[in-house]
Amino acid sequence: MYSREVARRVFLAELKRSDLSFREGDDSQYAPQYLLTPTGARCNRVFVVGTLIERDDIGEEVEYWRGRLADPTGSILIYAGQYQPEASRALAEIEIPSFVAVVGKPSVYETEDGRKITSIRAEAVQKVDLDTRNKWIIEAARRTLERLELMRSIDVPQSTDFRPGTIYHPEATTVEDCRKARGHYSTNISEYKQMVLTALSAIRKEQAIEESMPAEAHVMPEVHAETRTPGEVEMQDPPVRGKLPVDYEADSRAESLKPDAYTKPQPGRRRQTGSKRISSLVDLENDDIEEIDI
Amino acid sequence: MKDIEQIVSRLSELGISVSTEDVEKRYRLLVDKFQVPPREAQRSVLNYFLKEKGVALPARKSEQVKINQIREPGRWVDLEAKVLSLFDSPSPAISQAGILGDETGNIRFVKWAKSEQPDLVEGRSYLLRNLVTDEFQGRFSVKINRSTEIAELDRDIESAVLPQSSADYKVVDISGPGQWINLRAKVVQLWEPSSDSIQQQGLLGDETGVVRFVKWAKSEQPDLVEGRSYLFRNLVTDEFQGRFSVKINRSTVIEETEEPIEVSLNRRISGAIVDIQKGSGLIKRCPTCKRPLSKGMCAEHGKVEGVYDLRVKAAIDDGLIVQDILINRERVEELIGLTMEQAKEMAMEALDHEVVLALIEEKLIGRYFEVTGPVRDRYLLVDSIKEMPFSDEDLSLLVSRAEGL
Repeated sequence: MYSREVARRVFLAELKRSDLSFREGDDSQYAPQYLLTPTGARCNRVFVVGTLIERDDIGEEVEYWRGRLADPTGSILIYAGQYQPEASRALAEIEIPSFVAVVGKPSVYETEDGRKITSIRAEAVQKVDLDTRNKWIIEAARRTLERLELMRSIDVPQSTDFRPGTIYHPEATTVEDCRKARGHYSTNISEYKQMVLTALSAIRKEQAIEESMPAEAHVMPEVHAETRTPGEVEMQDPPVRGKLPVDYEADSRAESLKPDAYTKPQPGRRRQTGSKRISSLVDLENDDIEEIDI
Repeated sequence: MKDIEQIVSRLSELGISVSTEDVEKRYRLLVDKFQVPPREAQRSVLNYFLKEKGVALPARKSEQVKINQIREPGRWVDLEAKVLSLFDSPSPAISQAGILGDETGNIRFVKWAKSEQPDLVEGRSYLLRNLVTDEFQGRFSVKINRSTEIAELDRDIESAVLPQSSADYKVVDISGPGQWINLRAKVVQLWEPSSDSIQQQGLLGDETGVVRFVKWAKSEQPDLVEGRSYLFRNLVTDEFQGRFSVKINRSTVIEETEEPIEVSLNRRISGAIVDIQKGSGLIKRCPTCKRPLSKGMCAEHGKVEGVYDLRVKAAIDDGLIVQDILINRERVEELIGLTMEQAKEMAMEALDHEVVLALIEEKLIGRYFEVTGPVRDRYLLVDSIKEMPFSDEDLSLLVSRAEGL
């Protein structure tokens, strides 16, 4: 029986760095595609609630919408075209900025020069409120911590002795994924711990602001310097050609990876359209605006 | 043979000299020939020789001990301890049961009804003279009997902390990890342990739902039997994959109960609605068989005049599991704030049923709900659905959890 894939909760700084994708099971094109993140989330689908900070129609004959979604840790591009009519319509209509919930498939596009760019192909986009956004941060933090705790437990042989508050994961099926993620990304646990704390502290700040300021005041929480993760600081640096601003290891890794069947480069399809600057800190024109293969 | 040596040394403490051979002979007779459990045999042999020598067993030689010094059954001890918690009496023969603590640990106690002793009060400290130690499945307890002397202390015994006093719960009440609870539940299913550190795992159920359980190998607890019902005290709740579970640990007290428990297969899941499926919204059903019509046709009865219904088929997802849910008209009306009649009018005005669907998507997609109901095939039939609240408590717990990483 068909069973729907779970939508993983991953903060955007982490998702953006993810580039290890593979198919599970047989080689057929129907085998599910997964993206493994640095903390070991195996994503065929993701659910993110963040702020839609910009959007453009980058299609030629038909509408093809691209938006930028930000959470307190980073941002990512989301796409919706003619095969995602509802998501496409929502992306076209929602005012900027707004809190939005996005359900979609992560997608890794490899450029001709071997860079890998991760984005989300949206299945559903829905405007939501701050409260929902806060709940998502809570949930994403919980899931991320669960993964990090598992990853840590691989290093430190864990006592099975009972202690109140001990978090125990009986189906440790992701131990393998944790190892794989660690091997690929050399995941620094404390960096991701910091990312989680950054996201959680954004909730506090905004609850305080909410009482005294209109909704528009919540735009771009991620630009507060004190809530940025180490990875995000790099985003402000002038991007080096051929290198992802946040993905410091992409170049060395790209060589060792086989090109993925579904991330084939599309020759001559590079475009840079409609990249209005909404925020001076998120520089679209220098950022990853490769169009992905739909 | 440890049991035999214990009997001999007990007897010699009581001033009775019996040869090891005699003790062993008697002991073997009971254990080997009459299949008496070793512990029963031990007690019986002890009593046999006491009786033979005309010595009455009681509080001749009770020693002052700390809880962690209690290492064998059948000893007479004096304890200074605090009553950490009290349980409902599991049997009419027992007038009180609970947990005592001192600075070295905790121990279960039982007060026999026949002892005719006054009740102990939770939180108070006592000097208890002439308690008898007991053992069951490697766990020790002390028994208050007729010869026990109970004196309340006016100072507080500092005791090793019992994490929290457990509250009586139903499965449906379990709402977060780290809760200490008491549960009256039936073992619905046992599964193969997924790890060496787990002795048993499976599913417990009561009238309100089912919950997974894990029994640690280190808990040294007796094995549970599928289909039987138990009263569990001091279980700890946990959460994994969006589902709650309970852990049987070393301080859990398990008693079998004869009381029948009707298990409900309700499940609860909290998460975000990530998809509204086809066949949601304003639909028409066959008036005869209630099946939804497809293009005005019933698969069974052909072309019929359909009757309206309002329902939602959706997927709710917590990042670890995803569950298809079916929400009926009454609950959809509450969720979207429209009656079916109003929804029909809305669709009529727009000349499109899709407007109702769009409204449903707007109200549900990406939002967090807690749903409860029985699971039939792939769908959870929603009995109750409510918006999941934001929890400040979760926030601070997660912050400290992250900091502790």
